Amino acid sequence: MRLEKCWFCSSTVYPGHGIQFVRNDAKIFRFCRSKCHKNFKMKRNPRKVKWTKAYRRVHGKDMTQDSTFEFERKRNRPERYDRNLAETVLKAIPKIDKIRVTREERHHKNRMKGKKEKLQKEAAKELEQSISLVKAPSALQKDPSLTLPQKIKVSVSQRQSEDNNAMEE
Amino acid sequence: MIQPQTHLNVADNSGARQLMCIRIIGAGNRRYASIGDIVVAVIKKAVPNMSLERSEVIRAVIVRTRKELKRSNGMIIQYDDNVAVVIDQEGNLKGTLIFGAIARELRQLNFTKITSLAPLSRRHAEVKKLGPSCPGFESFPR
Repeated sequence: MRLEKCWFCSSTVYPGHGIQFVRNDAKIFRFCRSKCHKNFKMKRNPRKVKWTKAYRRVHGKDMTQDSTFEFERKRNRPERYDRNLAETVLKAIPKIDKIRVTREERHHKNRMKGKKEKLQKEAAKELEQSISLVKAPSALQKDPSLTLPQKIKVSVSQRQSEDNNAMEE
Repeated sequence: MIQPQTHLNVADNSGARQLMCIRIIGAGNRRYASIGDIVVAVIKKAVPNMSLERSEVIRAVIVRTRKELKRSNGMIIQYDDNVAVVIDQEGNLKGTLIFGAIARELRQLNFTKITSLAPLSRRHAEVKKLGPSCPGFESFPR
């Protein structure tokens, strides 16, 4: 029994699922479900179809190169059964999965970095420009709570930090 | 789902190129033939100067169909075209080479010559290359 990867979306195909298509040059295409199969028949390129793993890898949305992927590489050479080896492998699989997931999350976080700042800047600009759609300008002058507070810089003297250290003791 | 009037390509070097199915061998009013069934066919296209000629009636066994083949382990396999291999009355192969992939079902139906001539998949080739030193050599499904 082997867990294969869907040719189109790269998800795992479990036994009893999906269809295998054998082309005349004997290349086998495995599909996890009819959605992928139909897209293949339509001659769509998975690298251009947004929800596939191929697209995400090509466009840098997901990790491409990582040492955790080496463990899942396809091997055609059967291994001699060794109970100790099998035990270590079974113990290692969830660990490797966890590491891969944390690395993917980190990749995602790095990708999304700078988004919060961007959103806040845009929100501030929108508040400044379009607040007149919500409240009349005269009302704003009377009640300044709708504008963002101006940032005031406070300089910290050396003396204060020494006092803090005394407290920590 | 091969039925009379279906054109079949030929996957061996017997000399025929294209066959047209005339009749399915088996119980009386059998409607469709699939992988592993024997059909009576007439040769529509042939390679010149070989033993088989155009409009000769011969028997053939279906090896690849576009209709999906369902296995009991849940695997569903679909090929790209409808292909047969020419056979004689006893069931022996007419040609000496087989082209393209062959389904494993043919082995169970005693077409051992066809399965042995068929080209190997990558995994099979690896196991064969390693030979008896490879673990699981005897039990590897052929």
